[in-house]
Amino acid sequence: MLKNGLKALIIIGAALLLHKTAFAAELVELPVEELAKESVLPIFDKSVSVKNRRVVTAGRVDANLFYGMALTEPIYDVSKFGASAYYNWNEDNAIGLLFAKNSSGLSTYSNQLHKEYGLDYNRAPKPEMTIMADYNVKVFYGKMSLTKSMVINTMLFGSGALGMVKFENKSYAALALGIGQKFYFSPQWALRFDLRLYMNQAPIPFKKNSMNDGSTGNTSNPIPAKDSFEERLTYTTNLDVGLSYLF
Amino acid sequence: MRKQLLLLIATSMIMPVVSEAQTAKKAPAKRTAQPAARRAVAPPNAKQQLAKALQMAQNGQYAAAANNLFTLARKPELAAERPQIKYILGTMLMQLKLYQTAAFQFVDVIRSGNPRYSKPAIEKLSIVADGLGDDTILNYAISRVDLNSIPASQKDMVYYRLGEIQRRNGQFAKAIDMFGRVGANSSYYFQALYNRGLSELEANEVPAAITVFQNMIEARGAAPVTDTNKVQAQLALARAFYQKKDWDQAIEAYSQVPRDTLAWHDAVFEQSWAMLRAARFRSAMSNFQTLHSAYYEDFYMPESLLLRSIVYLYICKYDEMEKVLNLFETTYGPIRAKIGNFIKSTNDNTYYYQELEKAKIIKTTDKSANLHLPYIVLRNIMDQGDVKRAMNYLARLNQEKARVEGSPTFRASALGQYSLKIIANRMKNTKLAVGDMMKAHLLNMRAELHDLYEQAGFIRYEMINGRKESVKKKIAGKDLGEQIDDNVNRKFYIENGFQYYPFQGEFWLDEIGNYHYLGKQSCE
Repeated sequence: MLKNGLKALIIIGAALLLHKTAFAAELVELPVEELAKESVLPIFDKSVSVKNRRVVTAGRVDANLFYGMALTEPIYDVSKFGASAYYNWNEDNAIGLLFAKNSSGLSTYSNQLHKEYGLDYNRAPKPEMTIMADYNVKVFYGKMSLTKSMVINTMLFGSGALGMVKFENKSYAALALGIGQKFYFSPQWALRFDLRLYMNQAPIPFKKNSMNDGSTGNTSNPIPAKDSFEERLTYTTNLDVGLSYLF
Repeated sequence: MRKQLLLLIATSMIMPVVSEAQTAKKAPAKRTAQPAARRAVAPPNAKQQLAKALQMAQNGQYAAAANNLFTLARKPELAAERPQIKYILGTMLMQLKLYQTAAFQFVDVIRSGNPRYSKPAIEKLSIVADGLGDDTILNYAISRVDLNSIPASQKDMVYYRLGEIQRRNGQFAKAIDMFGRVGANSSYYFQALYNRGLSELEANEVPAAITVFQNMIEARGAAPVTDTNKVQAQLALARAFYQKKDWDQAIEAYSQVPRDTLAWHDAVFEQSWAMLRAARFRSAMSNFQTLHSAYYEDFYMPESLLLRSIVYLYICKYDEMEKVLNLFETTYGPIRAKIGNFIKSTNDNTYYYQELEKAKIIKTTDKSANLHLPYIVLRNIMDQGDVKRAMNYLARLNQEKARVEGSPTFRASALGQYSLKIIANRMKNTKLAVGDMMKAHLLNMRAELHDLYEQAGFIRYEMINGRKESVKKKIAGKDLGEQIDDNVNRKFYIENGFQYYPFQGEFWLDEIGNYHYLGKQSCE
């Protein structure tokens, strides 16, 4: 409750601050006859939505460092850290490689289960890393102004990646589909957000009579072999947040 | 059209007999004096061939009929029937949409002076030339037209074309009369109305022109916002108000030109002149932000840079003014030199045309081409009315050529070969004519740039003078109070040619036309 209240206060405070900044400049009133009278666009031989782009990606490489969070992961540590690099062969398409290293621990929920029921999910094989070839299609280049003196260019893109997810005992082929958004606060630097749905075979960590370590007084189960876990198609939603630099 | 054609062929089938009878009647009188005339009488075999060809035409076998008629028209024994044969041949070719080849048949008929076929041939030639957009043939046909004998269906077209010719010759009163005769139901009505208004403007009858354009806009009220007739009338109305020196009305009329039309760019530029004349400097400056944006980098508009510098002079922004004058010199100096070198380097019209053709490829595709002239110059020439019209004519000739080549049988025939020869010849001559037009435009551009350079010199002088006066005032302590841009370092914007536009020259299509100058004048 207190947490939510604090959040609300921060949001209101930020809104007031931005509001003040936005109207800090002199208010200029323009004569009505100078304002555009219809909503149509000028005709050009080859019409393009933006000329003299501030952020030019064609023929350039962008490198990214990111933090990833598995939004729907119940057992393993939800965090991973990674790096990726893309080659933009034009303003619409890019191809790259991404590598992510998973944190080795367990999720808060797993720790709770351990504390209360003695279930030790360290016994299950954990995901270690992900390596994928990622294709990005940049569908929308835009801009937004937070204040009258600052403009941020935005880029919305779709992504499709194919690669491997390596668990402690085995590697699995993986497919990831997603959507991403970049916010360029300079022609080189951007904040990059990627929301991906991963699909891959993965071991099921809930193996009967194998997970209890006896720490809560129950009978301790023998430690299962990592390869003994059954597998199934697993879906994980992942949000990556990172910094991107365009070379 | 088909009914008329059948009637024509039906009557024509009787014609050889009549023609023979007439020849037979006249024969005794000419027997001693002109023995050759007797030889010209068609033998029965030729008559049969002619009847067969006409039968084919009647049955809708236009290509076969045209081929036969073409052969028959060359036979000396059918010399007396030649105008008739050529006339029908022309009509067949019209059916086959081979307008250029048809036009040549009608010209031959007119030249023959045959009283029966000359008049309808003129009528047909007018229609064909009108469709082709061939000025030479059109003028030839129209100049021979007897207004009293034209069928009602063609009168409007002839009045319109006659008006055009008279307007071109500076006979504005006559042109106004001719345009005024075009009926309200005619497809030429709005073009005639527009041209009438222009003629009135040229005759300095401004109020009458304003009424014409207003009526035209009203009549097209239900048409879409981008309707060509409506937009052109709107632009013409704005120009008429400008000519009347009614700056406010002109500005308002210019602002009504929709942005998604080709006329909009001209409207914005001309509106800036009106704004300058109305002393609305801030408004004029707003327009320049659009006019000098990257969207118009391919547009030739030296005058707009000078106009911008003049507005800066009025609001005493000498740094910006210098920037714009330098921009004018760095942009148009090399252009002027290149135009001069090009004109000196060749006199060959074909070479001129080829240069234009290369620019056309660039304009219509993304392909690059090795040009000898700057693209903005060639683009400007391509947008000139006479060049556009000639290029359209060339496009129609190309279509006709494709039609001939599309049928291998027809192409191999004597008529097919003859058509290709005519089309090739017309294309060659039109290209030469386009080259000639281009040369004339280049000469005009060179002269215009020479004149603008002189003006730039005067403006620069005024700038130096203004700066001097400003410094004098500063020294005398008569400086201005605080300005809106006093706290802003304008150097960056001036260096980059921008105006309080902090996005480093990133221009968005949906912003074009919405830029607003927020500076104030720095004068006392």
